Amino acid sequence: MSMQKAVDNSRSSNAGLSMDNQEKLLADALQNVRQHAFAMKRVLDQQSVMEGLKHAANMLGELRTSLLSPKNYYELHVVVVEELHHLELYLTDEFEHGRGSHDLYEVVQYAGNIVPRLYLLITIGHVYIRANELPRREVLRDLVEMCRGVQHPLRGLFLRNYLLQCVKSLLPDTEEENQEATKTGTILDSLDFILLNFSEMNKLWVRMQYQGHTRDLQRREQERRELRILVGTNLVRLSELECVNVERYKTIVLPKIMEQVVSCRDSIAQEYLMECIIQVFPDEYHLNTLNEFLKACRELSASVNIRNILISLIDRLTAYSTRDGSQQNIPENIQLFDIFSEQIAEVVKSRINMPPEDIVALQSALLNLSLKCYRDQFEYGNKVLENTRKIFDNIALDTQVQTGTPAAKELVKMLKIPIDCYDILDVLKLNHYKLVLQLLSYRERHTVCMYIINSILDKETIIPTAEQVTQLFELLLTLIIDQTDSPLETSRQTITNEDFVEEQNLVARLYNNFQAPNDPDQQYHIIKICQDTFKNGGLERMRFTYPPIIMQAYALTFRYKNIREQDEKWEKKCQKLFQLCNQLINTLTKLETNDLPLRLYLQGALAASEIGSENAETIAYEFFSQAYTLYEEQAGDTRAQSASLTLLIGTLEKVTCFAEENHSTLRQSLTQAATRLVKRPDQVRTLLLCTHLFWSAQRLNESTQKSEQVHDNEKVLACLKKATKLTTQIMDQSVQVQLYNELLNTYIYFFNQNLPDIDITLLNSLIEKLQNEMSKISSNENDEFIRNQIQKTFDYLRQQSQLEKFQGLQINN
Amino acid sequence: MLVLVLGDLHIPYRVSGLPHEFRKLLTPGRIQHILCTGNLCTKETVDYLKTLTADVHIVRGDFDDNPNFVDQKVVTVGQFRIGLCHGHQIVPWGDIESLSMLQRQMDVDILITGHTHKFEAFERDNKFFINPGSATGAFNSLNSSTTPSFVLMDIQQASLTLYVYQLINEKFTVERLEYRKA
Repeated sequence: MSMQKAVDNSRSSNAGLSMDNQEKLLADALQNVRQHAFAMKRVLDQQSVMEGLKHAANMLGELRTSLLSPKNYYELHVVVVEELHHLELYLTDEFEHGRGSHDLYEVVQYAGNIVPRLYLLITIGHVYIRANELPRREVLRDLVEMCRGVQHPLRGLFLRNYLLQCVKSLLPDTEEENQEATKTGTILDSLDFILLNFSEMNKLWVRMQYQGHTRDLQRREQERRELRILVGTNLVRLSELECVNVERYKTIVLPKIMEQVVSCRDSIAQEYLMECIIQVFPDEYHLNTLNEFLKACRELSASVNIRNILISLIDRLTAYSTRDGSQQNIPENIQLFDIFSEQIAEVVKSRINMPPEDIVALQSALLNLSLKCYRDQFEYGNKVLENTRKIFDNIALDTQVQTGTPAAKELVKMLKIPIDCYDILDVLKLNHYKLVLQLLSYRERHTVCMYIINSILDKETIIPTAEQVTQLFELLLTLIIDQTDSPLETSRQTITNEDFVEEQNLVARLYNNFQAPNDPDQQYHIIKICQDTFKNGGLERMRFTYPPIIMQAYALTFRYKNIREQDEKWEKKCQKLFQLCNQLINTLTKLETNDLPLRLYLQGALAASEIGSENAETIAYEFFSQAYTLYEEQAGDTRAQSASLTLLIGTLEKVTCFAEENHSTLRQSLTQAATRLVKRPDQVRTLLLCTHLFWSAQRLNESTQKSEQVHDNEKVLACLKKATKLTTQIMDQSVQVQLYNELLNTYIYFFNQNLPDIDITLLNSLIEKLQNEMSKISSNENDEFIRNQIQKTFDYLRQQSQLEKFQGLQINN
Repeated sequence: MLVLVLGDLHIPYRVSGLPHEFRKLLTPGRIQHILCTGNLCTKETVDYLKTLTADVHIVRGDFDDNPNFVDQKVVTVGQFRIGLCHGHQIVPWGDIESLSMLQRQMDVDILITGHTHKFEAFERDNKFFINPGSATGAFNSLNSSTTPSFVLMDIQQASLTLYVYQLINEKFTVERLEYRKA
């Protein structure tokens, strides 16, 4: 960067364009300007107009410089114009008070140098027209012609810009001449004025391209771009005229502008001006001049970036057509799709070196137009997608677009357009969408697939049929099964890879949106399709994708139960669902931890029990025993085992479909398993949970076919006694005391349940024991907590002792 | 002090996400604490909760994929000791006496549990019991129609105002309850 500057400095020092030099030049010029301006104002205060004009001319002389860069010239220009404004105000004031001099317009024509002369003429001309001293039409015509006298590009541009700004409010904007004052001119005169000014300014602007050495070209082009707004202002001014209508735009304004744009053959000017036209004039005008505009596009020089111009126009008209939510803004006879489709084809044909990303960008704009303007006519969007695929097939058949290239990026952008415009069910109607998706390499396909899923989830779109699910899977294959072009080795598809986990969780979430709310058979169909698809994804993917299928299958059995009156096959269908789940869960047992399949089996047992279909007991028993088997396999992990056993017990307590034989087997197994846990405290606590299996748990009475509570007081007591015995074997006294407290609470629970053999006497003895044990433990923080727990139990008992049931309870502090 | 109480989301095992009516309401910066009864089930949901506020407390549900969540937690807010436990560890599930036992053991003023997917809020022996239900209305074999629900507690010193948000037949409702510590 600094080397470039040094080189610049050495080159341009002769021309005085080095940075330091520029600053000094500008500072000097500004100082001069201020001095002359001061003098001007002083003599004007003394009513010396001629003197004032002389000082003004001197001041304007600073604008004759060739040494300043455009940026600095602009700074100087701003200050000069500001000071010139004082003169204008003074003269206007004079006229308002009837003291105006009538010959100034003549007088200043004798000013020595042309630049000051023209600035003064414009200023005075402006004042005179407003004061009705001179006929507007002629003066305006005069001024715009006379400016030809300055052919230096920079000076000329700023001069004409000053002219345009000055006469801003003076340009006639009426159909007919004003009757009172003569020769005011009409809209046609304004058009002539501005169009001429524009042409001349453009010529000057283009000429800048060729000023100076070729090695300064880059800097010159940059400077030209900085000045573009000066030329563009003419077009803005044209758009502000009220009397310009579609007709005049089409017959007068646009042809003249186009003539200049095309004939100047300068790509910087062409690119800017075409863009400017699109932005500055209303869309209605563009609609009516499409052919003219596009014809001019074709005549632009080869190095112009036509892609951006066309896209700009297409996007604008697309937005226009859907403004206010309606699609009626475009008249019937203008078929935007056909026009642009043809145009793009021509452009692509004529510019053989057009890079593929530019072609895709054009197709994207056309796709956007199709989807928004022809909302329910999918054939348009489909056509664009099909053509895009053809383009790439012509370049290289069945070859993927290389990852990370601009073309790949543009294709990704293109594929996002339908996802944003439509909900997924409509996107699936674009059957050529997948043709374009297949062009991409793994990374980009992955991006698009993630985008699709996120969009569905955000919009909460429901996919209600198996057919649509199938179509969607065709698009999402990249995430569902191993891809041959994936950089990911199979070893990277594990739960340690966060990206993989995120991606698969997203697929799992998506699954939940596959819902056929009023059609259970369709839902079953969906489940089968998903199973068939997901099973090809490998175990690491199934870990994520199978659980939602299984849970949805359970939910489906409830839906079948609800329509049992209408569907006599409902029980068979439920049976099939449970069989399917059995199969799926079995696959998951191959994973390294059994927690998930175990829990899924338990959920299945619960579901079967609640459904109560003809094979419910068999199914529930099968599932429950599978869960138990998995539990036994967790023998190495004490924590997991303890948690799983708790879950088995909690579930069994809620499963009501087992007859006594099965129920008894399970009760016994779980109770024994509790005593076989490794840690004593776990044994005790789990046994306390088991007590409920012998009490509130329900089994099926085969004669009445109703579920009833077990209410086996003997077994409950046996559990409690066993638990007490195990507690005595605990060495850590704090833990032991804590468990005694929990035991007491469980006894109280069953006392409240009116279990025979638990009476006040028993409670009293337990309370006494606990009080004794409590005194044995220390008073450190942990034990304080345990003491507190015990106090809470005693508080509770004290409260309860008020009740009749608890008469005789011996609880004191 | 606003405390969000929710749980049993079961994303992605049973549902795809929180209902958008709830998502709109839950914006960052308005809630000071989150108490979650568990069964989220993935890290993605944990991260989402953490965007709402920094102080997030989660206990282990039977389907959470993070084995390191604790089974029980006690959090103090204002003058309330609040106990948090998923509830699948309490047998019988949802049994009031058993929950009371847990409340005594944890020595808390408010006990929050989940697992049943059914909203509950009641006072017993001067203690308060809350079940925020399932924030997503996830399927539950023992509860045939699950309504999406969650709870917002406004705690000022010793008084608690409870706001229950539910989506009943796709209609969004809010109810209000009050509780004062004895």
